[in-house]
Amino acid sequence: MVAVSALARPIAGWRLVRRRRARRTLAFYAFIAPWLLGFVVLTVVPLILGFLTSLTNYDGLNLASLRFLGLANYRRILSDADARFALGRTLLWSAINTPLWLVCSFTLALILNQEVRGRGLFRTLYYLPSVIPAVAAVWAWKIILDRNYGLINGLLSVFQPGTAIPWLSEYALYGVTAIALWSGLGSGMVIFLAGLQGIPEELIEAARIDGAGTGRIFRHITIPLMTPVIFFQLVMALISSFQQFVIPLLLTTSGAQGAVTPRSVYLYMIHTYRQLFTYQRFGYGVALLWVLFVVVMALTVLVFRSASYWVYYEALAEEGRGR
Amino acid sequence: MKRRKSVRRLMRFGLSYLVLVVVTLLVSLPILWLVITSLKKEIEYLSYPIKILPRSPQWGNYVKAVMLVPFGKYAARSFLLGVTFTTLAVCTSAMSGFGFARLEAPGKDRLFMVVIALLIVPGIVMTIPQFIVFSRLGLTDTYWPWVLWGLAASPFHIFMFRQFFTTIPRELEDAAEVDGCGMQRLFWQIFMPNSKPVIATSAIFNFSWVWGDYFTPLIYLSDAKTTLAVKLSTAYLDPKGNPLITTTLAACVIYCLPLVALFFLGQRHILRGVVTTGLKG
Repeated sequence: MVAVSALARPIAGWRLVRRRRARRTLAFYAFIAPWLLGFVVLTVVPLILGFLTSLTNYDGLNLASLRFLGLANYRRILSDADARFALGRTLLWSAINTPLWLVCSFTLALILNQEVRGRGLFRTLYYLPSVIPAVAAVWAWKIILDRNYGLINGLLSVFQPGTAIPWLSEYALYGVTAIALWSGLGSGMVIFLAGLQGIPEELIEAARIDGAGTGRIFRHITIPLMTPVIFFQLVMALISSFQQFVIPLLLTTSGAQGAVTPRSVYLYMIHTYRQLFTYQRFGYGVALLWVLFVVVMALTVLVFRSASYWVYYEALAEEGRGR
Repeated sequence: MKRRKSVRRLMRFGLSYLVLVVVTLLVSLPILWLVITSLKKEIEYLSYPIKILPRSPQWGNYVKAVMLVPFGKYAARSFLLGVTFTTLAVCTSAMSGFGFARLEAPGKDRLFMVVIALLIVPGIVMTIPQFIVFSRLGLTDTYWPWVLWGLAASPFHIFMFRQFFTTIPRELEDAAEVDGCGMQRLFWQIFMPNSKPVIATSAIFNFSWVWGDYFTPLIYLSDAKTTLAVKLSTAYLDPKGNPLITTTLAACVIYCLPLVALFFLGQRHILRGVVTTGLKG
C-alpha cells in the first residue's frame, strides 16, 4: 500500500520514505541501546582498564603506591616455570579432550540418526548430564573416582583387594576428562544430529541407487557435508577447553580443607586464578589472561585458515542461503 | 544375497543398540550413583568392602540436608538472582535481537559482527577485568552486578532472538506500520507474544546459568551472602568438623531438581536452542 501511494505522489512519497528511514535508524539504536551501553561500559572499558592494570603492580588496594611496570608482567610470564608448566598441561588437556569429545558425540549422533527405536528417549538421556550444574556433577564423580571410597576402586577391590588408584590426584587428568566428556556429550550430539538431519535424503538415495555402499556414502557424502558443523564444534571446543578450570577447582575445594590442585590438572586458568585470588596479583593475573587470549585467538585463526583445506564450503553456502 | 544383506543389517542394528545401551548405562551411572549414595548412612559410604545399596534408604539425609544449614535461604538467594537476571536479560536480549533482525540503520552490520565476535572471544578474559572494575566501584559483595549483566543482554541470546525474529513474516509489521503502530508497540504487542518458544528457551538457559554458576558468586560474594552453588561446593560438617558426605549429596540432588524439571518441561525448545547457538544448558 505504501508502495502504491509512493508511485502516485513521488515527492511526498520520497519524503515519507526518508522520514521512515530516520525513524527506523533511531528505533534501531533505541532497541540495541541496553546491549550497546552494556558492551561499552561492562566490556570495552574493563578491557582497556584491565590492559592498563597488567602494566602495573596493582593488587586491588595499592592505588597510592601504584607503579607503572611497562611489560615487566609479561616478561615475568616467560620466566614463570609454573605458568609454562600450566600452559603445557592445558595444551595436553585440550589435545585429549577436544578430539575425544568430537569423536564420541559425532558417533552417538550417527547412531541416533538411523531409524532406531526410542531415539527421542536416548537423546533426552544423553543430554541430561548437560543440565546438571558443575558443583553437583563434580560431587557425583567424586564419589565414583574417590581413592578410598569411590565406586571404581571399590569394584576393583572385589577382584584385587586394596585397589587405591588415585583418580583425583596423579590421574586427575583422566578424571577431569571423564567429567567434562560426560557433561558435554549431550550438547555436542544434539548439534551433530541436527546437522545430519539436514543432509538431503535424495543425495543418499541417489548414491545408493548408483551402487555406493554404506562406507562410501559415509566418506563421500556424510563427512564432506558435515565438515562445517565439525568445524564449528572444533572451534567452540578449543575455546572452552582452554578456559577450563571450574572442574579442577571444584575437585579440590570439595575435598579436604586446604587441599591444592593436583599437578596433573594444574591448568593455565588454575594458575591464573591462584595469582589473582590467592596472591592478589591483579596486574600479573591479567597479563596471564592476555597471553591466554592471544594463544586462543592464534589457535582459532589457525583453525579458520585450515578450513579452506578440509571444510566443504558449498555446504556452508547452501546453509547460508537456507537462512 | 538378499538374506545376507538383511543379516548384515540386523547385525548393524544390533551393534547400534548395544552401543546405545552401554552409553545409556555410562551416562546415567553417575546420576544413579549420586542418588543411591545420598540415601546411604555415612558409615555405609565409608565402609570397606564397598556396599552397592543402602540397607534401608536414609530419607532422613534429605531432611538433614535442608535443616542442617539454612538451605532455604541459600536457595532463595540463587532463585531471586536467577529470576532477576533472567527477566532483565530476556527483555534486553530480545530487544537487541529485534533491532538486528527487523530494523535498518547505518552501522548495523558492523555492530552485528561485534555480537558474533563476542561469541568466540574467551569470556574469562572479560570476566576478570570486569571484576576488578566492580570491586573498585564497591559493587562486589552486592547483587547489583547481576542486575547490570541482565540489563546488558547477552550475545548468545541476542543471536538466538535475532535468528527467530527473522522468521516472522514481514507482512505483520508492514500492516502494523500502516496502522500507525510504533516500533515499541510492534515489538511488545506483536513480536513478543508470538515468540513464546524462544523466550522460554532463553529464560531456561539464563536461569540455569545463574543457578548453576559457581565461579561468579565465588569471587563476587562473601560467605554470608553467597549462593547455593558455592555453599554446596564444600561438604556439610558435623559439630566435630567431620564431613557429612551423604547429606551433602542429598542436598546436591535437591539442588539439581529445579533444572532437571525445567529441562523436561522445555525439552524440545531447549534442544533447538542448543542447535541455534551452540550454547550448553
